[in-house]
Order: sequence, then structure tokens, then C-alpha cells
Amino acid sequence: MLFFLAPLVLVGIHSFGQISLITFDMHFGWTLQNYRDIADPIYFKTLTRSLILSATTTGLCLLLGYPLAYFLSRLSVKWQRVGLLAIIVPFWASFVVRTYSLVNLLENGGPVDDIARKLQLVSGHIDFLYTSGSIAAGMVYSYLPLMILPIYVALERIDDNLLDAASDLGASGSSLFRRVILPLGTPGVVAGAVIVGISATGEYVIPEILGGGKTLMLGNVVADQFLNVGNYPFGSAIAMSLLALLILLLVVGRGLGAKGWEATPA
Amino acid sequence: MGDGEFQLPGTRAGARMGRRLSRRELLSRGARLSAGAGAAWLLAACSNGNSSGSNSGSAAPSGSGSSAANLSGTAVLTTYPGWMGKNEISSFEDANPGASVKMTGSSSGATGSEVLFFKQNAGQYDFSLEDQSGVGQLIAGGILQEPDWSKIPNISNVDDPFRKAYSHGTPTDYGKVGIGFRSDIVKEGITSWADVWNLAPKYSGQIIFLNLDRDCMGSALKYLGLSGNTKDPAQIERCKQALIDIKPHLQAVTGTGVSRGLVKGTAAIAMDWDYDIALAKEQEPRIEWVLPEEGVVAYLEGYVLIKGGQHLDVATAFMDWNVKPDQYADFVNTTGTAYVSSKATPLIEKSISKNPILFPSPEVLAKVEYENYLGEATALWNKAWDEFKSA
Repeated sequence: MLFFLAPLVLVGIHSFGQISLITFDMHFGWTLQNYRDIADPIYFKTLTRSLILSATTTGLCLLLGYPLAYFLSRLSVKWQRVGLLAIIVPFWASFVVRTYSLVNLLENGGPVDDIARKLQLVSGHIDFLYTSGSIAAGMVYSYLPLMILPIYVALERIDDNLLDAASDLGASGSSLFRRVILPLGTPGVVAGAVIVGISATGEYVIPEILGGGKTLMLGNVVADQFLNVGNYPFGSAIAMSLLALLILLLVVGRGLGAKGWEATPA
Repeated sequence: MGDGEFQLPGTRAGARMGRRLSRRELLSRGARLSAGAGAAWLLAACSNGNSSGSNSGSAAPSGSGSSAANLSGTAVLTTYPGWMGKNEISSFEDANPGASVKMTGSSSGATGSEVLFFKQNAGQYDFSLEDQSGVGQLIAGGILQEPDWSKIPNISNVDDPFRKAYSHGTPTDYGKVGIGFRSDIVKEGITSWADVWNLAPKYSGQIIFLNLDRDCMGSALKYLGLSGNTKDPAQIERCKQALIDIKPHLQAVTGTGVSRGLVKGTAAIAMDWDYDIALAKEQEPRIEWVLPEEGVVAYLEGYVLIKGGQHLDVATAFMDWNVKPDQYADFVNTTGTAYVSSKATPLIEKSISKNPILFPSPEVLAKVEYENYLGEATALWNKAWDEFKSA
């Protein structure tokens, strides 16, 4: 607990401090100036962009991850293990190397471009790399396992007897999925969405590599303030604000989820 | 996720690491450097959150750079990974039994955060590779230690212009920010920054700019006919607007693999460092280097001492060692950089010493403006850079 909280407290304390960008002496005058500076339109625009990309990534991960997790959960134990390994093993490789490998795949003249041209899907090149689309593709690729695994765990725990009972009572096809599987798998979906959403909102490596440095996200601003400018207080204030916003979204989301759950017909 | 492995773009380290290294080595070194830097920052932040007055300074370096008997201990140097002569450190250690030099990656390289890094890790680093802007930053932060020049007699081997321009340490190398283009794609040819801006709509999506504020904004200022070290808010604003105007036509703003697109033909024009283009031209002869008519900005780097270092005498001796012609030639032959000591020329490979990209004529060199410390204007530059990146 200490290891989780101590850095957070340090960042929180720094966010109320001030630093001279000439001498780099830090003063803890408990000012709110760093938080006021965040109101600058540049950072608001950057925050909006981060949230949109994060929501897109989470949505796409859910769209791709749910069917995969469901399919995996219906396999025999042996094939489930094989499937899980196939999902996890690529992620033992370095994150940066995997991201750079996408550059080779997505660039003009790369395999994806070649296939698109051979299939006459595009007249020239795909021009996909260094766009918001390539960032989203990279984020989906990187975070998909984080969506699949919790959903798989939730779905895999569904007792087959429950499904049989539902069938005996007349539920089948879409009705079985909508009224039994979907509600029972919801905790996994929520966990996956939270993990992917939070990670994607603070992402800065993928936008830098696959966005060609042209798409500034809030994670990039925080990284820049810490690793380049040296303005720890401002970087900390952005990080704390993002944290507060995500907590707020989680609380609101949980409230809406609970209402939706209550409203679900039995 | 995996952030600790990332080499922060916006430094010259990424490109430097690729110098004469295989791609596998590049990635491996980058990962080690950034992981180390990330861990070091975390430890520093946990151990010393308040940096005010954390550095008490130290006496001038003691010991003799030329006397092996007085030297002992390991001096810690922050520099780019691999940015060192192949045998330079081992020969120094052979000549000075008991003394050694340990290279380590810096926090990010010649930036404000580096001052904080040194303050929070007071006494752990002895010397650092810094450009002039970084030197100014270290001086302002009160952590630069002036060397005892009597212990660095070999400084006389450094050419006067570089010695005068880099007065707080021993210069090692310099590099210009110019234009590389594919002559088979850009038939019109390019001679100026204005050509880049004018041709941008035609070659939209095929232009790469550097992801380093000093180099990129400095070049845009040159395009506007202004100083690359301006502190004038109005001029900085004009510079930002010029960059925002051309941004829709940029393929990428990157600090690593800048010339890769030129080599592969996926980019037509690149704002790039001279040594990177020199390397790329070896792979693709149709790449041309241009030192634009309006002039260019350039960095001048060298070693400076860090106040409070535990082995400043060893560091001073190594700074002297590095500018001995034979050792300096090893440094240049390994890194392939433009060099600052013509006395080492006979020992330097002709592919480097005769390369017109690295060594333009004196008339052309007159158009070079070195990047200096910006002081309080740094904040204006940071803001303008963020606005450009966010646009």
C-alpha cells in the first residue's frame, strides 16, 4: 500500500509547489497556480483528444475482445491454455519494440500498404502511419489483452448448468446471451474497460511513435514536463487533474451502471 | 505500460544511438538507458523531493590530470549511449591505474530536467556531455563546476573558434541542422528553408521535421530571417505560426530515424542533423544535403564538470585525455561526428575528414549560429512548442 500511495502523495505535494525554471529551486508555497495554468486552451484541447482516443480504444478493444474472450471461454481447458498463451506470449517482448514493429507494418511500402494496393482498396498509398488512426490501431493492439483477460475470467466462471437452465426455460440465441451471459459477464467488461481506459488516457509512447510526434496527448505533456522541461509542479498538477477526472468518470460510470443493472428485466 | 523502456523523443540521443550501430543494438541501448533514467528519477524523487539548496557546491577539482599516481576512483559521466571512442576509456584506465570512467545515460539530455536530476543526485555524477544551451542551464542552476585549466593542457589541441565558443569545458563535437532531400523525387532542388515551406503543399505528407524544440524552432526562425536564439515574444510567435502553417504537410515530427524515410523513399524532404544525412547518403546516394541560404542553427557539445562530484580530478583528467589527438581521433572515428580539433585530422578516417556534409567551407560555416541558453525566454519557447505540437 505504501508503495502505491507514497508516489501519489509526492506527486500531489509537488502539484501545489512552484519551481524556478532558471535555477530549478523548488518552493512549496501551496499555490493553485499550476491548476489554473491547466485551463489554457492547449491543454484542454489535448485533454479532449486524449479522452476521445481513449474512448475509441476502449470501445474497439471491447468490440474485438468480447467475442474473442467468449470464444476462448467456450473451448476445452487444453485449448483455453493454448489460446491464453497465444494472447500473452507476444507481450513478453519489449513494448517499445512491438510498437516500432507496427511502424514497419503500417508505413507506406509496408505489408499492410502492399496488401491494400494489391486488393485495389486504395489508388495510391494507404498513408495510414502517423495519423490518429494508426495511434488507435497501436493502442488497440497493445491493450487488447487487458480487455480480453478480465472478460474471459468472468465468462469462464459462468456455470454451464445456468445456461442449461435458461435454455430449459425457453431462452435461446440472442435472448440467452442478452439476459444471462451479458449480465454475468458485465463485471469483466467493466474491469476491462477501466483498465484499458485509464491506461490509454495517460498513454504517451504510442502517440509519439505511431503518431509521428504530431498528435499531442496529455500523457505527452506530462512526460515532457517531467523529462524535458523540468517543471515537476505543473506536470504533477496535470497528472493529479487527470487522476481526479478519471475517478469522477468511474464514479459516474458506476452509478449509471448500477441504475442500468436495476433496470434490467429479470 | 512499458513507459520505462521508452527513449523520450525530443533528444538527440535516439539518433546518436543509431550512429554506426545495428538496429538491434540501438533498441537494446535505448531501452537500457531510458529504463535506467526512469528508475533514477523515481529514486531521486522519493529520496529528495525538495531540491532547493540541495547542492552545496564543492571546491575546485583537485589532483593532476597528467599524473597517474594521484588519480583513483571512478568518475561518472552522463552522455549518450555509445558516444565514446572504442578504446578511449580502456586506454585511459591503462594509463591511469586505479582510475576509471563509467558512462551512464542522463535524465534526458541538455534540458531543464537535467538540472533537477543533478541536484537531486548531488555527488553522484562528475561530468556530463552538454551543448551550449545545457551549459547555460547548468550555470543558472548553480551546478556547473569550472575546471582547473592547468590540469587540461591538451585543450590547446582544440581549434580556437570552438574553444572560445565553449568556454566552460572541453568541446567534443558539433552538428548543424539543415535539409536532406531526395533528388530523384524533388526535381526542383532545394537551396533554402523558404524552398521547404514553398514546396510543402506539393510534397505534402512527405516532409519530416525534427522533434526537438531548439532545432526545429531554430530552423523556422532561420526561415523567417531571425536569430535561432531569439528571446523576443513577437518573433517566437511568428516562428510558431510558421510551424503551424506547415504542420498539415508534415509526415512526422520525430527525433529518431529521421533519415530513414529518405533512405526508403517514403519521405522527400527532412529537416535533419548533418551526421545523420551523411550516414543516410552512404545507403542512398540520391539523398542530397543542403545548408540553407538563410543559415542554420547548430549545437556545440563538450564535457563539463558537475559541482559536488566525488571524482572531479579523474573527470578532469579524462577531459584532458579526450582532447589528445590520438584519443580524440578514436572518439571521432567511432562516432563519425563533425570534429573540433584539426590537429587530429591525420588520424581521422578520410570518409569523415573529407566529407563535405560534415565540413563545409568557411563561407558556409559563417552562416552557422550556435544554440545558446535562452534564460527566461525558455518558458516562451516551451509554450510555443506545445502550441505547435497541439495544433
